[in-house]
Amino acid sequence: MHLGKFILIRATQIVVSFFIILTLLFVLFRVAPGDPASMVIDPQMTPEDVEVTRALFGLDKPLYQQYLICLKNFVKGEFGSSFYYGKPVIEIIGEKLPNTILLFTTSIILSALAGISWGKVIAWRRGSLLDSSVTVIGLVSHTLFLPWIALLMVWVFAYWMNLFPLSGMITPELWLNPETGITMKVLDVLHHMVLPLSVLFTIHFGGFMLIMRSSMMETLKEDYIVTARAKGLTERQIRERHAAKNAALPVVTTLGLSLAFSINGGAITETIFSWPGIGRELVFAVSNNDYPLAQIAFLLIAALVLVANLVVDVLYAYLDPRIKY
Amino acid sequence: MQEYREKERDKEWLDYRKGREVKTGLGGRWGRWATTLRGHWDIFKRNRLGLFGLVLLIIFAAMALTSYIPPLIDTMYDPMTGVDPDILWTQGPTKAHWLGTDFIGRDILSQLLVGARIAFLVGITAAFMAVAIGTSVGLISGYLGKRVDMVLMRVADIVMVLPGLLLILILSAVIGKLSVWNLVIIIGLLRWASVARVIRSQTLSLRERPYVQAAIISGASKGRIIFRHIGPNVLPLSFLYMTFGVTTAILVEAALAFLGFGDPGTVSWGMMLQWVWKTGNMFRAPYWLLPPGICISLITLSFYLIGRALDEVINPRLRQR
Repeated sequence: MHLGKFILIRATQIVVSFFIILTLLFVLFRVAPGDPASMVIDPQMTPEDVEVTRALFGLDKPLYQQYLICLKNFVKGEFGSSFYYGKPVIEIIGEKLPNTILLFTTSIILSALAGISWGKVIAWRRGSLLDSSVTVIGLVSHTLFLPWIALLMVWVFAYWMNLFPLSGMITPELWLNPETGITMKVLDVLHHMVLPLSVLFTIHFGGFMLIMRSSMMETLKEDYIVTARAKGLTERQIRERHAAKNAALPVVTTLGLSLAFSINGGAITETIFSWPGIGRELVFAVSNNDYPLAQIAFLLIAALVLVANLVVDVLYAYLDPRIKY
Repeated sequence: MQEYREKERDKEWLDYRKGREVKTGLGGRWGRWATTLRGHWDIFKRNRLGLFGLVLLIIFAAMALTSYIPPLIDTMYDPMTGVDPDILWTQGPTKAHWLGTDFIGRDILSQLLVGARIAFLVGITAAFMAVAIGTSVGLISGYLGKRVDMVLMRVADIVMVLPGLLLILILSAVIGKLSVWNLVIIIGLLRWASVARVIRSQTLSLRERPYVQAAIISGASKGRIIFRHIGPNVLPLSFLYMTFGVTTAILVEAALAFLGFGDPGTVSWGMMLQWVWKTGNMFRAPYWLLPPGICISLITLSFYLIGRALDEVINPRLRQR
């Protein structure tokens, strides 16, 4: 039951981390200059009215009580209403979350797989023309400015060549038509997904590939590779079975560490392509001073990253039997 | 035999250094510094990509320096306030405006040059801050160990999983638009954790070295051992992480400006991209869309390539045989 215990410990850590982030956010919003109620308080209100409004929002209570109320509401799942939409935050987020997960996980998995397979091939052919050219491609991909490459792709593939839609996730006419079958709907979403997916893929591929390449080169120096050669295994067997499997482990670790960073890129991509996800919603909420929505969207993204980290840890433990917890 | 070999090696090393010292023409401490630098440069220059990065960096530095010239020629070349009275809307390259003008007739080339200045400013100061905090935390955490270590590393764990850009977005919602300096401080506060991790593990191995034990026995204080004895030995690593940190800092600033949360008092490359995007000119004005993006991508590439080459200087294991 080593793994079970490990998951339990990590899960507790994650919950603690999450509440620390929640507290930080609470403090941030309270110490910030400007009253949180200033959004609703009218300059023409009498001081008595202002007091009533403040009491309505619970702002007349001492800070620690406000904090406890905030915690209580959070645990109970009452996240308040969005200023902008006038709907409960939870509804808005619930709608957007699956879209984000769909786009983000697909892109991460695809780019990690591509990065691993290219990384192992070029490390195997170290010093060749293929190695140097793919390495340069990887370096460029790793340092490209995401919004710019996104705009370029929209320009070339959507505007110029007219291959893909400019933005959005669905074609409304198609979805409103009751005769449209499920296959058409899926294809429609996929058609909209190609461009944002390619942008995220382009950005993430390089990093994974470079790590796989250096990790593979380290692995190839190991003794067991020499042993495999001595046994008379084919080159392909050595590369795929003996080297690549071990070399891929650091990629998994980096995957966990870089998640927080790549979700930033996810939010930018969603904004550019008007992909209805929580990253775009967060950017939107911040522009509209929609604090409740911004707060919850951020917390949710943080939670997402934390959970994804846990998944990566478990995956790592599963992939590498040498790891003992 | 073993002893003889070691002596022989030492002698070779001394000869090597002597030869170098004569060449640099400097004596004493400076001579030694020059020797070490020469040795490192010899390794660095074998990395062609690193050299390419260095060339790019020099070009961008030149851009940052020339950015002072256009406003002197004519006030209409001022990147922020200069408006060409003859041009009302964005226009392609002309003789007066080599890269064209933006939506209110400001010169794109002068904006591009100033952007280099902002990128350097934000990138280097933010990375320096992140590395300074990270190095100190890593050293303290690694040397003191126990509870201090545990607390600091848990904090680092949390900082590491925070989606930085989104947190900065939230901050700018609460505080209002962030100035460049506030942004630098926030990036510094958000990006130190990974540096702290690396420096900590390095410190863990360094503190077992004989010279540290000797320092402890001779009664050196903890602070002195940490910052005077161990500190200098992790500095190359910190410097390496600084070059990578510059890359992230520039990208974060640019992304923030692109989303419309940049410092309204400055012109940065991200801001230029935001203008071309928000004014709906991205399909019409390639002369406006392409340059800022190319610059951001190339400046980050340049720092990244230099970082990789420095990595080879510091970690001999990475060098190609």
